[in-house]
Amino acid sequence: MKGLLIAFEGIDGSGKSSQAVLLKDWIEMRRDVYLTEWNSSDWIHDIIKEAKKKNTLTPTTFSLIHATDFSDRYERFILPMLKSGFVVICDRYIYTAYARDVVRNVDFNWVKKLYSFAIKPNFTFYIRVTPEVALERIKKAKRKIKPQEAGIDILGELPLEEGFLKYQGMVVEIYDKIAKEESNFITIDGNRPLKDVQMDIRKILGEYIDNSL
Amino acid sequence: MNTLIIAFEGIEGSGKTSHLEATKKYLEKQGYGVITFGLQKSKLLGERITQVKRNILFERRTLFLAYVTDLADQIENYVNPSIDSGFIALADGYTLTLTSWGLTRGLEKEWIDDVLSILPKPSVSLPLISTPDEIVRRIIKKRGYLDPLETGIDICIKEDTFEAYIDYINRFQEVLMSISSKENMIYTDKEFDEVQKEIVRRIVSITS
Repeated sequence: MKGLLIAFEGIDGSGKSSQAVLLKDWIEMRRDVYLTEWNSSDWIHDIIKEAKKKNTLTPTTFSLIHATDFSDRYERFILPMLKSGFVVICDRYIYTAYARDVVRNVDFNWVKKLYSFAIKPNFTFYIRVTPEVALERIKKAKRKIKPQEAGIDILGELPLEEGFLKYQGMVVEIYDKIAKEESNFITIDGNRPLKDVQMDIRKILGEYIDNSL
Repeated sequence: MNTLIIAFEGIEGSGKTSHLEATKKYLEKQGYGVITFGLQKSKLLGERITQVKRNILFERRTLFLAYVTDLADQIENYVNPSIDSGFIALADGYTLTLTSWGLTRGLEKEWIDDVLSILPKPSVSLPLISTPDEIVRRIIKKRGYLDPLETGIDICIKEDTFEAYIDYINRFQEVLMSISSKENMIYTDKEFDEVQKEIVRRIVSITS
């Protein structure tokens, strides 16, 4: 594969999306680069959104429909771009599915097999923050917590902040496990200013961006 | 344990829908409550798949996963609860049909089996097989013409639609037969009633 695949993982509010965008801007000056977000297939994401609102997804269909969304972006964009030498940045990759599905009690081995078609990223930056820090950031940004960020489908209707801390805590636990298993995982302390985190990432990537083609 | 699902499997035109309907009537006469479901019939994704299928013809894995999601939604929200309250479920296309679709398009057998292992195994699968000529005739009678985008054009491009269709049917049915148990296969290139009697004989053991 001529291209380079870089994934960002972390809980909601970890700052990984901002990091992904900053990285894209930086790489853009040197290479062809493409950024893709989780849950953004143009013909599935609205169905997922609607189903979440109506709470009609079961853990199995939650898992499968996100896999369909991912596969659509994978077959349409990610794979052809990697083959033609792009740097592809994924704001969330298969590990998001691992974490979210396992939290919903879907068999971990089955989820891994489901996503076995996806190539492993060259680098996965796991922006690790505590749920408390993530919550503070969301509050500071004056953004509302979305019900699904508070795990409404598995925890029920808790007060949003309480649900957020509990649900994101469960996700962090799984991420930490995956980080130990996956050799491409680089855990970055995300409890620091945006700029410091970005500089760390650029330092790690520097030579690869220029030399991988 | 196998779930009380009777799966009618086969390519379009193999007789799935008409024999499913006849079987439903038969079972209802016997006093059973019967529900039907099948490929691309879910509330969640059924309609959307129809809308986008032509645009994602070459995204085989995506389309496959969409079909599985569609089946899983029906199983979890409709079939399982119905079976729990005593119904028999008839599937108009289930895992064997989907597996044949995927294998014909080069998806890996192991991956397909792994993904589909999340769905319940049916009590009985009835792969319906017919001759390509007969199948093509049925499709033309039903639709009025052969739609090249509907079936197989993504894998066998030929000089004309008819030849492409025949080629596709052959490939599909070869795969279906290779993954099905011989004793359950039903050949539908015979009189409808004769075929239906055979189906009834096959399902008697599960319903009794």
